[in-house]
Amino acid sequence: MRVDSAKRLTERALAAIAIALAVSGPFIFNEYWVGFILTQTFLLGIAAASLIFLSAYGGMVSLAQVALYGIAGFALGNMVTTEGKGLILGWNPWLSIVLAILITTLVGFVFGAISSRSAGIYFLMITLTYSVIANYFFGQVTVVSGFSGISGIDLRAPSFVGAEAEDPTRLYYVALVVAVLVYALLRFVRRTPFGLALQGVRDEPVRMASLGFSVPLHRTLAFTLAAFVASLAGILYVWWNGQIDPATIGLQGTIDLLIIAVLGGLGRLEGAWIGAFFFIVINNYVRDVELPLVGGSFNTIIGLVFLAIVVLSPDGLSGLWDRAWGLIRRGGAGPDRPAVATGTAGPA
Amino acid sequence: MTGTLHRPLQLAARGLLVGGIAFVLLYVLVIADPSPDIGGNWRTTTFGSAFDDWQSFARTLLNGLTFAGLLFIVASGFSLIFGLMRVVNMAHGSFFLVGGYLAYEVQQEMTGAEGGFGILGEEVNTWEWVLPALVAAGVIAVVGLGVQQVFLRWNQGQELRQALITIAISVIVADQVIAHFNGGIASSVTWPGWSNRLISLPLLGFDYSLARLVVLTLGVSVGVALWTWLYRTRTGMVIRAGVDDRQMTSALGINIQLTFAIAFLVGSALAAVGGVVGASQGSVAAGQDGQWLLNSLVVVIIGGLGSLLGAVAGSLLYGLVFSFSAVYLPTTGDNCCTQYSIVFTFILLALVLAFRPQGLFGRAG
Amino acid sequence: MSRLKRHWKLVLPLGVLALAASVVATASLAASGAKAKEVRVAIMTDCKGTFGFGYEPDIGGALAAFAQYSGGKVKNAKKPSAGMTGITIAGVPVRIVGFGCGDDTAATAIKETKRLMEQLRADVMIGPLSGDEAVAVANYAKGKPSKTFVIGTAGSQDPTLQIAPKNMFRYHGDGAQWNAGIGEIAFKRLGWRNAAIVMDDYSFGWTSAAGIIADFCAIGGKITKRVFPPLNTTDYASFVQQLPAPDSVDGYFWVVGGTGTAASLTAFEQTYGRIDPKQHIGNLFFAFLGADKVVAPKVVGSYVGGFGTGPGLKTKQAKAYEAVVAKHYPGLNGGNYADGFVYNYYNAAWGFIQGLTKANGDLSKLAASMPRTLKSGYEVSDAGVVKLDANRQAVQDQFPLQIVKNGDAISTVVVGYVPNVDQSFGGLFTKSSPPPGRTQPACVKKKLPWQGKIKVVRNGVITNAVIK
Repeated sequence: MRVDSAKRLTERALAAIAIALAVSGPFIFNEYWVGFILTQTFLLGIAAASLIFLSAYGGMVSLAQVALYGIAGFALGNMVTTEGKGLILGWNPWLSIVLAILITTLVGFVFGAISSRSAGIYFLMITLTYSVIANYFFGQVTVVSGFSGISGIDLRAPSFVGAEAEDPTRLYYVALVVAVLVYALLRFVRRTPFGLALQGVRDEPVRMASLGFSVPLHRTLAFTLAAFVASLAGILYVWWNGQIDPATIGLQGTIDLLIIAVLGGLGRLEGAWIGAFFFIVINNYVRDVELPLVGGSFNTIIGLVFLAIVVLSPDGLSGLWDRAWGLIRRGGAGPDRPAVATGTAGPA
Repeated sequence: MTGTLHRPLQLAARGLLVGGIAFVLLYVLVIADPSPDIGGNWRTTTFGSAFDDWQSFARTLLNGLTFAGLLFIVASGFSLIFGLMRVVNMAHGSFFLVGGYLAYEVQQEMTGAEGGFGILGEEVNTWEWVLPALVAAGVIAVVGLGVQQVFLRWNQGQELRQALITIAISVIVADQVIAHFNGGIASSVTWPGWSNRLISLPLLGFDYSLARLVVLTLGVSVGVALWTWLYRTRTGMVIRAGVDDRQMTSALGINIQLTFAIAFLVGSALAAVGGVVGASQGSVAAGQDGQWLLNSLVVVIIGGLGSLLGAVAGSLLYGLVFSFSAVYLPTTGDNCCTQYSIVFTFILLALVLAFRPQGLFGRAG
Repeated sequence: MSRLKRHWKLVLPLGVLALAASVVATASLAASGAKAKEVRVAIMTDCKGTFGFGYEPDIGGALAAFAQYSGGKVKNAKKPSAGMTGITIAGVPVRIVGFGCGDDTAATAIKETKRLMEQLRADVMIGPLSGDEAVAVANYAKGKPSKTFVIGTAGSQDPTLQIAPKNMFRYHGDGAQWNAGIGEIAFKRLGWRNAAIVMDDYSFGWTSAAGIIADFCAIGGKITKRVFPPLNTTDYASFVQQLPAPDSVDGYFWVVGGTGTAASLTAFEQTYGRIDPKQHIGNLFFAFLGADKVVAPKVVGSYVGGFGTGPGLKTKQAKAYEAVVAKHYPGLNGGNYADGFVYNYYNAAWGFIQGLTKANGDLSKLAASMPRTLKSGYEVSDAGVVKLDANRQAVQDQFPLQIVKNGDAISTVVVGYVPNVDQSFGGLFTKSSPPPGRTQPACVKKKLPWQGKIKVVRNGVITNAVIK
C-alpha cells in the first residue's frame, strides 16, 4: 500500500515536471522540436488517447480513430477554405469548428451503433473497414477532396491560433491545453456512473446485461465520446499541417496510430502521449541507418522496435513502468504479471 | 442495429435489408437499361440488364466466380489459421507477396529469361509454372512455421498481442522486399502457354479465357482438398475439434501444438500459392501485401472466421459484388459510378457486419 | 545481480530507453542557430510504395550533376544514397543534408519535407517524385518563400499551373505534356479515328490521360469510351468488359500504372484474346517505371507516350548527358539513363547549380537567379535548351516512343520529335480551366502548336520528314 502511494506520488511528480517542461517548451527547446515534435506529440497523443480510452475502459480496440480524425479534418477543410480543392464553402472558422466536431461525433455514433454488437477481434476488423471506406471515400469523391487533398487550412485558422508556419508557438500552446483538457475529461469520465458501467461492460458483459445495463448502448456511447476526442485531434492536425489528404487516413496511418497506442501502453491513458512522443522521435532520428546483414532501411528498424516492444512488454512503455513498481512492491520476488491483460479485449 | 431495442425497429431493419437485396437483384436482372449515346439516368448501365444482354451478365458472373477462386485460395489459409488458433495473421499478405516474388525469380531462372523481362506464354510449359509455385509454397510454409514457433507459440490466447506481432513482422517483411527484390518493382509470373487462349463455351455462346477457368479450377481444387482433409482425415478431425474446443482437445491428450504447427504450415503455403496465382493474373509489387491482407480480411469477415464454408461464401460474395458493381453500377453520364465499385463493396461489408457481426457462417462469440 | 538477470525483460528495455533518452535530450536542446556559411540541399524522393524503386535512380541522377559541375566526390558509385562530399558552388560549400523517403502520398511527403527543411534545415529541396507529393510540397513552399524547391520528376499540373509558388521550379514537362504527339501518331500512322481510354482513377491517371485525349481529339479523333478503374483494383476483368470490343473501335489508350499495367493488359488478353500491338497505345507506363519489363513483351510494336526523354537519341547533347551519368554512377538504373527518374532529377540539380552560381552563393538571390533556360540532354529545339514559362514550368520537347524487338532484345526507341510542348497545350489548360478529371478535357478539335510538325525519328536520328 505504501509502495502504491509512493508510485502515485512519483507519477504525479513526473507529470508536474512534464507539464512544467511543456509549458516552458518554446523557451528551452529549439524551434523544430517545438513546432514539429512536441506539437505533433500533443495532437497525435489526443488521437491515441481516444483509442486507449476505448481499449482501457471499454475493452474495444478500435482502428477507426484515424478515420474519424480525418473526417473532422476534411469537414473543417471543406467548410473553411475559400480556394483550392473541396467544397470551398468559406464559412466562419468558429462555426466550422463546431460543425466539424458535430459531424464527426454523429458519424462516430453511427459507426459505434453498427459495431456495438461486435467484440474483440471482430470489432477490430469492422473498425478497420470504416477506415478503408473513409480512405476511398475521400479519395474518389473528388467533390469533397480527391487524392491530392485539401490545403491552405492553416491560413483560415482562428486568430488565436494563427498560421502554423508563421508562429508555431501559438498552436503549440493550444494543442497542449487541449491535450491536458482531454486527459482530464477522460479521467473524469472513468469515475462517473457511465464510466463505471462501461468498465463493467468491458469486464463482464453478460453479467452487466443480466443486471439490466444495455451493453450495445454503452459501447455506442463510448465510441461516440472517442469520436468526439478524435475530432479534436483532427482539427488540431489540419491547423498544424495546413493540409489533409486521404493517405493520412489510409492503412498506414491506421497502423501508425495503433503502433503509438501499443508503444505507450493500451492499458493506461498516459500511454497515449508517451507512445506518440517515442514514435515521432524514432521516426525522426532513426534514419540513414545501414543494417549490416539484412539490408533494408529504417523501416525495418521501426518494425523491429515494435516487435521487441510487443514481445517484451505487451503493455508498452507504461506497462514497463507498472511492472517496475510491481517489482519494488514485491521486493523483487515472484513472477512477472502484466498490469493489464492483453488477451481477448472483451470476450470474443 | 442496436439489437436490444424494440422488435419493430429490428423488423424494420430486417425488412429494409431484404428489400434492398431484392431491389439490387431486380435492378441487375430487369430494371437496368443499356446506355444511350449521350447522358443516362439512374437506370443506365453499360450493358443494360441481364434481360437486355444476358451474355454480358453471364460473362460478369464468370468473372466474379473466377476472381472468387483466387480470393478463396488466399483467404482459406487465413481463415484456417484464425479458426484453429485464433491468430489474426496480419502477415498473411506478406506471405502472399513474397510467395509471388519467389515464384517469379524461380521462373526467370528456369526459362533462362534475360533482363528480368516478362516471359511470353508460348515459352512457358506447365512444369515451369508448377515448380515455381511449389518452391514458393514450400519456402513460405517453412517461414510461416518458423514465425509460428518463434513468435506465436508461447502467447496462446493473447489474440491482440499476436495480431500486433504479426503486424510488426509484416512491416519488416515489406521493407525487406524492397531491399531484396528489385526495389519492390512490379513482377509477374507467366501462365503456361496452353492456358493463354479463349475457349468457346457452347452453352453460353461466347468465348472465355482458359486461364481464368484454370484459376477457378484451382480454387475449387483447393476447396475440395481442404474439405477432404478437414472432414475425412484424422488430422482434420483434430483440427475441427480444436476449433470447437481447444482446451478439451488438448485435455484428451492430443498434441495440439503439432496440430497448430501443421495448420499454420498449410495456411502459409496457401497464401504463397495465392501469391503465385495473383502474380500470374497481374503482377505483384511492394504494397500488394497490404491490399491482399485487406482482401483476405474482407472475405473471412463476410464469411465468418474459422469456417471453410464461410471462406467459400465470403469469396463468392466479395468476388461477385466487386465484379457486378464494376459493370452494373449506373453510368449516368461520364462521371459516375462504376469507379466506386470498391467503396460499394466495403459498404456492403459494413452492412453484413451490422446485421451479422460474426459473419454469415461464423459462430456467435 | 541475479535479480537483474531474472528480470531482463524489464531491465533491457529500460536500459535502452535511458540511453536513447540521453541522445534525444541533447538533440532537442541543440539551438538552431546559424552555422558556418554553407548551403544545405535535401533530395526528396520515394523509398516506399509504388515508386520506391526510384530512390537510388533519383538520387543518382541529382548527384551525378553535382559531381560533374561542382566537384562533388562520389562516396559509393554503386549506391548513390551513400552520399556525396566536396561540393562547392561559387566558392560556397554545399552539403547534401538528407534524402526524403516518401511513398507517393501527400501526407508522408509533407512529413518528410518538414523533416528535411525544418529539422535538417535544408535551404533547397530537389524533389519530390510524384504528382500528389508535388501538390502538397507546392502548398508548403508557398509558406516558405526563403527556401527554394526544384521539382524532381512529378507529373501533376497543379504545382506550376494552379499553385505556382515563386520559389518552385520545374525543368521538365508534366504528365500531360509527356504525351504530346502520341495522339497524332495514332491518328496518322495507325489510322485511328475513334478510341477508348482506360485510366487510373486518380490525379496522375487523369493528367496523363488529359494529354492523350487533348492530342488525339485535337487532330480529329474521337474518344468513344472512358473507363476509370479505382486505384488498387486487383481484378480488371469487369472494367475491361466495359471497353468496346476490338472490332468496334480502332484502338485503346492505356493509362494504368503500378501493378495495374500488367493486370489490366492480362485482363484484356483474357477477354478478347491476343493483343494486337497496332490497337494498343500506352502512356509512359508501358516503357518505364517498372511495369515496362512485365508488359513490354506482350506489346512489342506498340507506340508509347513519352517521358520527355529520348532513349537511343543520337544527338551530341544526349550522348554527353549519358556519358556524364555513366562516369559517376555507372550502371545506375540498370544502365537506363534515359529514364525520367534519372534525367529529371539530373536537370533539377543542374538548374540549381547554375542558379547558385549566378547568385554567387547568396541564397537570398537564388530564386531570382535560377536559370530560365537549361541546356538539357535530350532537348533539341532552340539549340537544345529547355525554357521556363511565366510559371517557372518547362516548355520541353517530347518524344513519342515505340517498343521494338531486335532479335531477342526488347527495347524502346524514339519515333517522333515534338518541338516545344508547353503546359497549356496550346491554350487548353489554363489556371481557370477545369483541371484534368474523369470527363475533362472534353474531346474537342483544335489546332495545337505542334500539330503537323512532328518529325520522324529513325534509329535515333531526327529526320526532316514530318509524320504523315
